[in-house]
Amino acid sequence: MAVNLTDLSLPQLEGLKTQLDQEIEFLTSSISQLKVAQSKFVEAKDSLNVLNQNNKGKEILVPLTSSMYVPGTLNDVDHVLVDVGTGYYVEKNVEDSKAFFKRKIDFLTKQIEKIQPPLQEKHAMKQAVIEVMSLKIQQLQQSQQASQMAGTTKA
Amino acid sequence: MADAIQKKLKAELEKYSQLQKDVSKSMSSRQKLETQLTENNIVKEELDLLDSSNTIYKLIGPVLVKQDLDEAKATVGKRLEYITGELQRYETLLKDMEKKSEQHREVLTSLQQDFQKAQGLAKGK
Repeated sequence: MAVNLTDLSLPQLEGLKTQLDQEIEFLTSSISQLKVAQSKFVEAKDSLNVLNQNNKGKEILVPLTSSMYVPGTLNDVDHVLVDVGTGYYVEKNVEDSKAFFKRKIDFLTKQIEKIQPPLQEKHAMKQAVIEVMSLKIQQLQQSQQASQMAGTTKA
Repeated sequence: MADAIQKKLKAELEKYSQLQKDVSKSMSSRQKLETQLTENNIVKEELDLLDSSNTIYKLIGPVLVKQDLDEAKATVGKRLEYITGELQRYETLLKDMEKKSEQHREVLTSLQQDFQKAQGLAKGK
């Protein structure tokens, strides 16, 4: 892809810029979606810390809806039910669940790291395109002025 | 002369845009399949890490139903097989359509040239 940007015409550059804008938007939204998913896993992992032997038998309020709670006792602090995807739920002990969430968080971190370099590349490309565009516009204006001057002197 | 070519051109263009629509439909189906493939692969990895001490439930509607580990593994395996098969089918389908639209494009350009020529002749008279 060794196209010289200065060889392209203004409409072509404009098109390239729109395309880059779209790509950047797509990548940015992908990253933010991944971050949202990641923060959910972090939250889930943190809340597992509450499940320890010290809290066994303590009374808790269980949310039935977001505004209604019923009292309950924390009976089982060793097992939780984890959603592994496509409708499968697995009963795991707390340690395994923490490992599960750590895996998920690491996986998402890797995915985010994978997207970052191309995003930066696109940003740099867009910057270059904008620079060439403004240069072209300047040249165009100058040549227009020159031709106007030539026109007035002739008249 | 020019009218006949124009009619042909119009029909050909319609066929071409229909083909283009089919291509984008197949593309999005393939994308969906790819998403499902990754999702199922992740589930398979998770299931492979489990042993008989773990209980597995499957969400059917609003109910969690207890399921055997081997059964769950088999189901996911079968799903993966099906999805890869479907993906391959779409791959060949898309290649085929790509070829077809290439042909259509060629026909279109030659028709366009003919049309322009015919128009030029008509004006020349």
